[in-house]
Amino acid sequence: MKKIETSRRKFLQGTVSLCIYATASMATPLTTTKTSASIKFKTTPYVCNMCRNKCAGFARVEDGVVTKLDPNPYFPKSRNMLCPKGNAGIQALYDTDRLKYPLIRIGERGDGRYKRVTWDEAYTYIKEKLVTILEEQKDNRSTIAYCNGEGFNKDEYIQFFGGKLGSANFLDEGSICLNTKLGATQLTIGDIGEMDVAGSDYLIISGANRYESLITPDSIDMLQSQQKLVVLDPRCTMTAMKADTYLPLNPGTDLAFCLSMIYIAITEELYDKAYVKNYFEDFEKLKEHILSEHYTAKWAEGKTHIPAEKIEAVTRAFFAAKNPLYYLGRRSVWSQNDFQFRRAMVLINALAGSINRKGGIIFGNPIKLPKEEITEPYYNNTQDRFDLEGIVYGSRKGGSWLNFREKVVTQTAPYPVQAMFIRKHNLMQNMPNITKTKKMLEMMELVVVLDTMPSDTAMMADVILPECTYLEREDMVVSFNRLEPSLALRNKVIDPLYESKSMQDILKGLGEKLSKPLFKVSLKYDEELQESLQELGEKRAFSEGGYDFTELYKEDISSRNKKLILSTFDEKVYLSLKEKGVWYPYMKERKERQNYLYDYYPEEKKYYTVSRDYKVKCYLKKLALSGFDAMPTWREGDDFKVPKDSFRMITGRYITSTQTATTNNSMLRDIQESNSVWINDKVAKERGIKQGDKVIITSGIARVIIEAYPTNKIAPEVVWFAHGFGSNSMELSHAFGKGASDNMIIEDSFEKIYGCATMHETNVTIRRV
Amino acid sequence: MANYGMAFDYKLCINCHACEVACKEENGIDLGAKNHRLWIQEEGETRGDFWNLERSEVRLIQRQCQECQDAPCIKACPNDAIYTDENGIVRLYKEKCDLSLVCMNACPYDARYIDEKNKITDKCIFCADTRLARGEVTTACQITCPAKLRYFGDLDDPQSEISQVLKQRKHFTLKPEAKTKPKLFYLD
Repeated sequence: MKKIETSRRKFLQGTVSLCIYATASMATPLTTTKTSASIKFKTTPYVCNMCRNKCAGFARVEDGVVTKLDPNPYFPKSRNMLCPKGNAGIQALYDTDRLKYPLIRIGERGDGRYKRVTWDEAYTYIKEKLVTILEEQKDNRSTIAYCNGEGFNKDEYIQFFGGKLGSANFLDEGSICLNTKLGATQLTIGDIGEMDVAGSDYLIISGANRYESLITPDSIDMLQSQQKLVVLDPRCTMTAMKADTYLPLNPGTDLAFCLSMIYIAITEELYDKAYVKNYFEDFEKLKEHILSEHYTAKWAEGKTHIPAEKIEAVTRAFFAAKNPLYYLGRRSVWSQNDFQFRRAMVLINALAGSINRKGGIIFGNPIKLPKEEITEPYYNNTQDRFDLEGIVYGSRKGGSWLNFREKVVTQTAPYPVQAMFIRKHNLMQNMPNITKTKKMLEMMELVVVLDTMPSDTAMMADVILPECTYLEREDMVVSFNRLEPSLALRNKVIDPLYESKSMQDILKGLGEKLSKPLFKVSLKYDEELQESLQELGEKRAFSEGGYDFTELYKEDISSRNKKLILSTFDEKVYLSLKEKGVWYPYMKERKERQNYLYDYYPEEKKYYTVSRDYKVKCYLKKLALSGFDAMPTWREGDDFKVPKDSFRMITGRYITSTQTATTNNSMLRDIQESNSVWINDKVAKERGIKQGDKVIITSGIARVIIEAYPTNKIAPEVVWFAHGFGSNSMELSHAFGKGASDNMIIEDSFEKIYGCATMHETNVTIRRV
Repeated sequence: MANYGMAFDYKLCINCHACEVACKEENGIDLGAKNHRLWIQEEGETRGDFWNLERSEVRLIQRQCQECQDAPCIKACPNDAIYTDENGIVRLYKEKCDLSLVCMNACPYDARYIDEKNKITDKCIFCADTRLARGEVTTACQITCPAKLRYFGDLDDPQSEISQVLKQRKHFTLKPEAKTKPKLFYLD
């Protein structure tokens, strides 16, 4: 981890730096604002953005100040609750460290020295850089990469930089998150589906920590249901603590457990025979494969450390249940076998017949929203993305971060990537091997960051464009869920603070500045465009060709929303979204079950089963043709092994943090000030490591210092610490210098089916400072 | 006029801290780990070695003022600053509090903390001067709870949900030996 020298801190104080606004904002004290007894203040329905869930709430505003966020009882997805992060949205809004003004870098990348500029100056700077870059690259638009983490507005951001500006290089969180799970489900049953946790009477969860990483409605439904819960995890999490059966296991061996479940289901004929007959393709191939590999419970015991009789008992109980569900997880990809593991879980659900029915993986019936259409120009000199090379499937949308970064850093990409637009995506913390990410950003001619916080990534930017938080903007209406589908609208609670703007307003300003000059670059290099100009004249060639980047932004977001909603639904729907933040067809039939918990849809109206032609694909030919296993298979390399005196490093998070997005939140820091490393208590004792001791954790790429937390809740050859700490940006006054960053030491490797970073394959050593 | 109490379906707790944050936001409680009207206490521990963990001894207990009907803090206060209001909630005349801290020491439940901002000993009052004062019928911790494990209402109203749940389910109070007659109940 980078050491912070006091000399530089002193140096910073004397320069034009971010410090100017950090001190200017000290007027706001670090306290909460008590709500008043008065009823005269209004509440505005909004949609939370503190994590990926998007729960609905009502914000209370008193004299222009947001004083309280409360859960929205109308939204089926979030079940009338707000988690600690949702409640602490107020501290995200009023964080004194927020990015407040457009900034242009005046120091070295990463040292935090910036000057405040006007929005126009920032746009102009970007324009000049982009024109130079595109001239040099002869209008290959893909030299400008752009990325956006999870959240609303992502598609619109893609429409701007991909559709209008023309780059093929978009990256998102999928390849450092759950693309293997989405892909495995899609390829096996033809849809990514949705898991009906509430309807399941027997739930197996591998690794996903639903009680410390809340997913709505899944986590809430688990709390309320009477189902049997079985948890597999190399760490005894809160979810494991609450399970009826907890099966501790070796990291990365869940696939062996799954294979054994399939073996037992086949040999004991526990599977749903009618379902298999009607829906399975290549079941005989699967059967033959599983049987010939002898994936017995005893075999799986040797891989997983779970006793064979427990594997058998859980398998029998699962297949005997009426509505069993093997939860497909959401979490980061762990090992090279991740895709096969996720696919094995889908197949287990299918063998039980738990597809397209209550308590299983359902297809459901999401509410369809129309798309706003724009004209996208065609750039003849633009080259395709290169990050999916060597990857079997991969996501055409969000690509593969690690493959992309590798090719950029080693200069093995077919063309140089010279600029990067980064929105809501903390690259400097979010993927393994931070040193390499830094190198990638240092190679760029232009780095632009759109964000709310001076994150580690923002500190690497040439231009910082301050975006407002979710409480300061309206966003386009969003359709949620499949079983109990609904629409939700993020209404604006207060106007943007400081000089921050919504993404739409930022893109509008940027578009006004960029459209014509970049069109001129194309004209120079694009012969077809030159012909079209001859034919139509410049004005028409520009407008009819779709080169006006602001096409979507002729109207403000409220008007766009209204138009979009009324194009498909009636006025009542629009009013409901404005007043209640939510709309769904059976709202009037919502009933209180108990203590402010509701049944949102009448039981018979839930989309448990829909009419659908689909097959369960046991055998994926494309995988075989690419030299991979067409059916889930255990490979020798999957065995859990660590060298003597080493540990497998695994990661996860605390309930109070959303990756690094919430890392500077003063309220959440109050609860979880720092992270510490879990190490098995007996092992710690042997090594003389006590609680609170500072230890050095060393991997093949770096080392970090962190406090030790000896506990019997982790396996002897495993260590764990939470993601979301160890920020290196000095502008994050609550986060800087607290705890350690997992991605400093996690080695970068990726699996080859979806190009996803494998997070649990790093071995580390540990010693006291 | 009501006789407010709370019942906890305590086994549902996952210690997510939503109640603590909601309480702080609603009632303007200062940041800082020491300042809180409510907290979750982990009792017991997981025993055994990792591969054979015994998890059953661990309990997560919601802690806050127990709204004693025979409250030691009321008796102890030398300034008669503490009283029971018309809704059966133990309250404080702020101007009478001189931070003698006698009430803090008298409380068997450790429910009070020093509110530095207002120079008083503060504790949970069921959002009496915020939500209840506005006519709302839920507390901040109750409504935000993902598990909805907190039942709040009028113990004197036999039709209230809390009265019903206490009638139907076995429950206990904390430290019955202190003979404080708490109005907070833990459902078995």
